[in-house]
Amino acid sequence: MSGHHIISLKYLLGAATALVVLTIITVGASFIEIPRPFDLIVALSLAFGKATVVAAIFMGLIWDKKINTMALLFSLLFFIIMIGITLLDTLYRDVPFWIYS
Amino acid sequence: MANQNATHGESHVAHHFVDSEQQLDSSKLGMWLFLVTEVLFFGGLFVAYIVYRAWNPELFYMSAKELSTTLGAINTVVLIGSSLTIALAVRAAQLNQRALLSRYLIVTILLACVFLVIKYFEYTSKFAVGILPGEFYTYEGIDHPGAPIFFSIYYMMTGLHGLHVIIGIGLMVYLVVKARAGTYTAAYYTPVEVTALYWHLVDLIWIFLFPLLYLIE
Amino acid sequence: MAAASKDLKIREFPVEENPTEHYLNAGKGLKSWLFTVDHKRIGLMYLASIILFFFVGGMLALALRIELWEPARTFMDADTYNRVFTLHGAIMVFLFIIPSIPAALGNFFLPMMLGAKDVAFPRLNLLSFWIYSIGALFTLYSIAYGGVDTGWTFYTPYSTSTGTAVISMTLGVFIMGFSSILTGINFIVTIHKMRAPGQTWGKLPLFLWSLYATSIIQVLATPNLAITFLLLILESTLGVGIFDPALGGDPVLYQHFFWFYSHPAVYIMIVPAFGIISEVISTFSKKTIFGYWLIALSSLAIAFIGFLVWGHHMFVSGQSELSTVIFSFLTFFVGIPTGIKILNWIATMYKGSIDLKTPMIYALMFLFLFSIGGFTGIMLGALSVNVHLHDTYYVVAHFHYVMMGGTVFAFLAGIHYWWPKMTGKMYNELWAKIASVILFIGFNVTFLPQFVMGSQGMPRRYYSYIEQFQTLHQTSTVGSWILGVGFIIVGIYLAISLFSKNNRASSNPWGARALEWMTTSPPAHHNFNHTPVVLHNPYDFHKPISEFRLGIDGSDGHHSSEDVSTPKEVGDKV
Repeated sequence: MSGHHIISLKYLLGAATALVVLTIITVGASFIEIPRPFDLIVALSLAFGKATVVAAIFMGLIWDKKINTMALLFSLLFFIIMIGITLLDTLYRDVPFWIYS
Repeated sequence: MANQNATHGESHVAHHFVDSEQQLDSSKLGMWLFLVTEVLFFGGLFVAYIVYRAWNPELFYMSAKELSTTLGAINTVVLIGSSLTIALAVRAAQLNQRALLSRYLIVTILLACVFLVIKYFEYTSKFAVGILPGEFYTYEGIDHPGAPIFFSIYYMMTGLHGLHVIIGIGLMVYLVVKARAGTYTAAYYTPVEVTALYWHLVDLIWIFLFPLLYLIE
Repeated sequence: MAAASKDLKIREFPVEENPTEHYLNAGKGLKSWLFTVDHKRIGLMYLASIILFFFVGGMLALALRIELWEPARTFMDADTYNRVFTLHGAIMVFLFIIPSIPAALGNFFLPMMLGAKDVAFPRLNLLSFWIYSIGALFTLYSIAYGGVDTGWTFYTPYSTSTGTAVISMTLGVFIMGFSSILTGINFIVTIHKMRAPGQTWGKLPLFLWSLYATSIIQVLATPNLAITFLLLILESTLGVGIFDPALGGDPVLYQHFFWFYSHPAVYIMIVPAFGIISEVISTFSKKTIFGYWLIALSSLAIAFIGFLVWGHHMFVSGQSELSTVIFSFLTFFVGIPTGIKILNWIATMYKGSIDLKTPMIYALMFLFLFSIGGFTGIMLGALSVNVHLHDTYYVVAHFHYVMMGGTVFAFLAGIHYWWPKMTGKMYNELWAKIASVILFIGFNVTFLPQFVMGSQGMPRRYYSYIEQFQTLHQTSTVGSWILGVGFIIVGIYLAISLFSKNNRASSNPWGARALEWMTTSPPAHHNFNHTPVVLHNPYDFHKPISEFRLGIDGSDGHHSSEDVSTPKEVGDKV
């Protein structure tokens, strides 16, 4: 049954290799001059890639009950809600709302 | 309490569960929900990071230069390695390889200690030049009116992460003691499994901390 | 989804009346309570603690009302007044109302309604109670140390510079947050993994749907309270400056952090109350609940929308105009699922055989008071009206109508509804009705004048006021005394019922259909001595009650070795 899935060595070692390679790419990318917003996007995409490998293989989400994956995605969703709505304030502090201007 | 488990074939199934399958599934879901709270707990600090970075992009670019990319990268690889070893420890438990289980756990603990030692050297080298959190900040190398805020966030994020590493080490020491006593078998290894989940989360958080704190050009 | 497999024999299990062995006499002595893992005993310990703190908070409220008798000083000075209203707020919010329904009644009845023997993690449940107690000790320490004068919201920069016991108080709340998280995790896992054979999501009692929604909020929002107070503590001890403009920080960010927890937290307080009302109204109307799925899912909808509207507490804080407009807009959406619930409850009563027992009276009062609280909430959500009413007694009256008229009245409904099941004793119905009427009158006399004062501009948290408000303030104070008398009567007749001899309650005094009524009163140590099987919706009052008492034949509820394989097939539901 899914709860007792044994992850094969091939997957575990493969995941570790992928993570190290992605780390090297992340560090390497930081030395290349990428214009401002894109350097952050590249770094974060690589971080999300690594996070997916850890969650999917090391934490066994691929073989696990879907509810656990949902829990993780929910935490992400609510983090996005929190930062997204907070930014609506902090980024627009000095901007008058269009109806009033 | 007295009549629990009395007639059970599998002694590790608590009285209110039907079988070990239900028990393991429940424990894993419980741990995942705890990890959700951890993500949102750190999430608050990430929100602070994003808000202040959006306000002071220049400050964050200047301050990140003070941090050593090399040490950060080494620590990333160390944590990835520890994630691998604890995943192997779970595998060993599932395959009933008891000696291998405690050996992998010990390697994981050692890697976690390496991480902390490197972190210690990073912290002390910063303290030496007066880079301290908040009002104790005296460093003059960064010419920006809001200069302390980056390092306040740095210390809180890495400090909270470091605290989680220390807690993880404590949990794994407990696991080693229990594993040596032969508690964990292929039929019952729930504590190993959920501790591994926790440890992977510690790794996950660092995967985001590393580029956000060290790799801002 | 489970279907009973063919080779399983299902039969009716008649309920024993007046059991000689039950959870209350399953162990003796203080230790058998303090170290129990029985969810029922933990629930009762929570109940005792929150009643204690409700009493403390209530006494503080009476002191505040007496102080407001005169426009200037009545009997305490202004500094004391600040501390008393802070403690009243903090104790009522963090020590009473957040754990009230979920941790006390929820702990007791959630496993029983699922036909389970306990929650998924019984020891974690006990730990959660102990963490709550430790957090409460920190709060008591803060009171002894001189109290806190910031208001329960602990806004920076005042809270980091006041010099009162803010650190120990917030540390106490921080610790209690873990208790709340552990209860939430426990409930979610229990509902997911431990439902009785045949109990699909569509047959879950609505009280459990509301607890499920509440637990989701507890798990998603409470960590943010923890990080907020951690930052506050670091700010006052190490001066990290994250909320301090002098060090590059921003005090409004504290308010975002705080309300990202504390707004969803008001739904932690009210959503379980909705669950109780659904149970009570259906039971005492003897009628299938109207719109089962709408009520169930609207709880989840409220939980979700609750995360999007926190900024309506910050309309005058200096946040951007864009976000005030968006927050005001989103706030109105909360009214939709709430309105759906009210409509469904009223539709449930329509043409039902309504039996006006005490729990039902409280439920009707809830509908009335909560609707007033809800409508005034819509008014406060409107941006332009809010600017006028912000931080006035109008706000105070609004949230007391929701929190006290809503949650406390629903809590009273729940206590009276489940009292016979919890204690095995029946209270005096006449006195209960008298007390409910006194409470209703006292509540309205206390808080209706506050709407008037607030709309005329009386600010909240003020020690002194101009003389034109004196009549209204004095009316409100008299109302608080009526409330006090009402609660004393409730305390007396409930205590008497515990010690009387000739008032044994039957196992199902109200003729309800949910699983918790299908076992003895008080319940057995492991709730059921068989594995219950669910065929019907818990509100199917048109079906014979014998079909709600089914269980697997030959199971003793402990899954001993010979039958461990039989429930396994059925138990494959998860």
